Amino acid sequence: MKALTSTLLVLVTAAVVRAENPKESDYYKITTFDTPKETALEVSSIELLPGNKLALGTRRGEIWTVSGAEGDPAKVEYKLFASGQHEIMGLAWKDGSLYETCRYEVARLKDEDGDGRADTFATVTDKWGVSGDSHEYAFGTRFDKNGDLWVTLCLTGSFGSNIDFRGWALRVKPDGSLIPACSGIRSPGGMGFDAAGEVYYTDNQGPWHGACTLQHLTPGTFQGHPGGFKWYDKAPNMGPRPVEPKNKSRMVTERERVKELVPPVVYMVHGKIGNSSSFIVCDLSNGKFGPFQKQLFVADQSHSNISRVFVEEVNGIKQGVVFPFLKGLKSGPIGGRMNDSGQLFAGGSDRGWGASGGKPFSFERVDWTGKVPFEVHEMRAKPDGFEITFTEPVDPATASSPASYKARAFTYIYQGDYGSPEVDDVIPQITSAVVGADNKSVRLTFDKLTKGHIHELHLDGVKSAAGNPVLHPVAYYTLNEIPAK
Amino acid sequence: MFRSTFLLLAALFTARGIAAEPLVINIKTIPAKMLYDVTDFTVKPGAEVKLVFENLDDMPHNWVLFEPGVDVVALANKNVEDPEAVKRDFLPLDKRVLAHSKAVPPKAREEILFKAPAKVGVYPFVCTFPGHAAIMQGKMRVSLAPPGLTGLKFALYLGSWQKLPDFAALKPHREGEVPDGLIQIKLDDYKNQFGIVYSGKLSAPKEGDYTFSLAGDDGVRLLIDGKRVVEHDGVHGSGEIKEGKIKLTAGEHEVRLEYFQGTGEAEIYVAWKGADFPNTALSKWVHPEAAVGGKKKKGNSRTGIPLAVGTEPVLYRNFIANAGGRPIGVGYPGGFNLAWSAAQMNLALVWRGEFIDAALHWIDRGGGEQPPLGEDQVRPVGDSSVPFAVLANPETEWPKTDKNQLAAGYDWKGYTLDAKRFPTFAYEWSGLKITDRFDTAGQAATGGTLLRTLQLVGTIPANAYFRVASGNIQPTDAGYTVEGALNVAVAGAKVVGRNLLVPAQAEIKITYSWPTKAEPVQ
Repeated sequence: MKALTSTLLVLVTAAVVRAENPKESDYYKITTFDTPKETALEVSSIELLPGNKLALGTRRGEIWTVSGAEGDPAKVEYKLFASGQHEIMGLAWKDGSLYETCRYEVARLKDEDGDGRADTFATVTDKWGVSGDSHEYAFGTRFDKNGDLWVTLCLTGSFGSNIDFRGWALRVKPDGSLIPACSGIRSPGGMGFDAAGEVYYTDNQGPWHGACTLQHLTPGTFQGHPGGFKWYDKAPNMGPRPVEPKNKSRMVTERERVKELVPPVVYMVHGKIGNSSSFIVCDLSNGKFGPFQKQLFVADQSHSNISRVFVEEVNGIKQGVVFPFLKGLKSGPIGGRMNDSGQLFAGGSDRGWGASGGKPFSFERVDWTGKVPFEVHEMRAKPDGFEITFTEPVDPATASSPASYKARAFTYIYQGDYGSPEVDDVIPQITSAVVGADNKSVRLTFDKLTKGHIHELHLDGVKSAAGNPVLHPVAYYTLNEIPAK
Repeated sequence: MFRSTFLLLAALFTARGIAAEPLVINIKTIPAKMLYDVTDFTVKPGAEVKLVFENLDDMPHNWVLFEPGVDVVALANKNVEDPEAVKRDFLPLDKRVLAHSKAVPPKAREEILFKAPAKVGVYPFVCTFPGHAAIMQGKMRVSLAPPGLTGLKFALYLGSWQKLPDFAALKPHREGEVPDGLIQIKLDDYKNQFGIVYSGKLSAPKEGDYTFSLAGDDGVRLLIDGKRVVEHDGVHGSGEIKEGKIKLTAGEHEVRLEYFQGTGEAEIYVAWKGADFPNTALSKWVHPEAAVGGKKKKGNSRTGIPLAVGTEPVLYRNFIANAGGRPIGVGYPGGFNLAWSAAQMNLALVWRGEFIDAALHWIDRGGGEQPPLGEDQVRPVGDSSVPFAVLANPETEWPKTDKNQLAAGYDWKGYTLDAKRFPTFAYEWSGLKITDRFDTAGQAATGGTLLRTLQLVGTIPANAYFRVASGNIQPTDAGYTVEGALNVAVAGAKVVGRNLLVPAQAEIKITYSWPTKAEPVQ
């Protein structure tokens, strides 16, 4: 690993020296908006409204409607739609009403008299517990394909659950009833859907989470942190309480014992991808945001960045790969949303946890410049390695040389203590790299794959046909399952 | 770093036997705040320091001391970018690190011994865990300042005052020693309506003029050898620092600090400076204005974002002290304020004057309960409880509720805002659809009234009562007073024990006002 690190350092240094090398801003441009002077616009949720408008929910409990955010940033207009709410961590527009997920409830907000401000705050459900601990956030989604809205509830702090359903995901049915859906939530940072409408949330490093994670929510599952198990007593629809996971074990081992346990789709590798995963946005713009259609974009509050995730399903389990995508947001992103034109809106705040962006809060827009970066497009697990596709044709000489790649595999301790180091290192050898007939894919054969491990792949030697290096030459694939074929 | 720690320890052990007991500095992390409780302390050049670092938070933290002038935030951020940093528990490999703890897990503690640098200056310390440094930091001052207060004792008094009372004429509720030799308020669980007299000794290094700084919320007075040096009496915030000078002879002097707390915020800051040493705090809380270089300290301030009420009501849904579960604070024009509980579906707290300060919730992570800003707070029904109950007879005990639980049988439906942006709260109980709203007349400060209207739609159950008030209820010409602090008028009510009850009916109208204040006795 030492050798690998120093090689990387050399490469990084070389990249800095070579000024002509492509950079993120050649492909994606960040626009930072001025925000209303009278408030700290700590954006924690974003929703699209009819007429090209946006709604921004904030940690200070305000909702601002924004016009013109798709165009010239100097012409953006803000209007205060609602205030006095308790931390708005989810917004959903439906049938002329805006639904907010706050600390205590999901409520339907409507402007009945047409003055641009909400006058109806009708509670949809408030049937979960809040004990007064600052961590007890509630994150909400938009409405899913069944018309349900999902809520994830942070534990009371990191370890335990003091009051009803802290540490659970719940579904709000159209009639307002609240159905327990998943146990095992620790500290959510964002929620979202994939292109097929499946529900995901991000969780944060801490007990039972060696790193931040992207997780797939399906009813009846246990998502990893047993701190909220006692609420099985109040959730008969969930069946019996699962067996407790063993402390200081491994996720892959405990999956064998705890049948309800679902492994994270992707580990957002700590310190490398980020430290505090937040929003999840799926690119449904049909190519207007660049070549990564239907992939997920996951932000990190602490690193002020956005990463890119490709998900596949193997043996009925979601798993996938995360790549660095875009650095340089100005604060700690929390809320995100993409419009049909492929403009990604992001907003956030550094309050309480810090963010490398440096500003206390921000509202920003990411636009694709129209240039296609040379990147790994998708990465799929194979019985003996991986198949990777690229956004641009590759240089066959470098792409077919195993020496252009370096691999490492590791995992985290699955434990009740806070976080985990990277453990159980395996250094697989890449035995072959075969470029596909389309010149845009490479089939890599590994001498070994380790089930449950994160497979870290560096592609520093690979060049595009045009001679460019891979813009982000690293991938972290969470290999929950090894496919049979 | 291990090497330099070893050297420091070796130096210390060599000196053992002749060295004085090390100076003990206790630093704790504040749960869920990502802050140290002590962010500023002073040691003498070359002093042996025993730092007891206790982590009360639920995530690991460390304590790393740097040389003066190091941009600790930039350094910590850069450190995190090193992929190997996680294996070092995020301890930076930097020769400017002077002393450090290990990564201290939640609820654990560590003691470290080190020798303070010989050079006078301000030495930053910080937690180098990812993202923590931006706020989790403090300063160790190496200064020639003399030792602080010795033999510091306190006497706690209970009472409600507008000005500092004659404590000598009062009987203390409790007496004891003050830890750490630093003036501090949190010596007991009392948050409101108490007074403290601190007494101790201060040693002046030589004869000369000394300047004492003092700030308090509320009234404070500092006496040395029985002479008043500086005071700031009355009810006020802690923003203003007052100064007073006194000539002292070399040697020990008696220090007496008198303080009282009305309601709301509570702080004391006291510091002194002499010809040979800079301004040095004698209190645990260091006033932000007193920070070195006059730079405002970023941190756990609980004031600074007051929510001003203009021509429309202002709503604030957050953790409000003494306001039941899920309170909705409403500041109305005219100086009327209330908190209505969306867990117990009832008016929980009324007060007048200023509305509330959001700083506790809008700075840092936002935990904790914030008391209102204004005055004359009253809880009309005492501990939060439900508005309606079916009672076999009126003497039956009113149902009790846990403020964090949703009241059984009640269903919160939300609220609407009218054209004036006044809220009407809605809920259901016993098949009834109930609304609850408040209007105002006049100014709260000058006899104005708060008019409450409850409307019940549906079939009202037999023996259903609405509890208007609870506590010490006395009849007056116009209605009743509750705890001598709030006037209540309602038709058809009767006092039953400590409750003021009215039969549930389609419309219930209640008028609240504050009694005219008697002039404070001098």
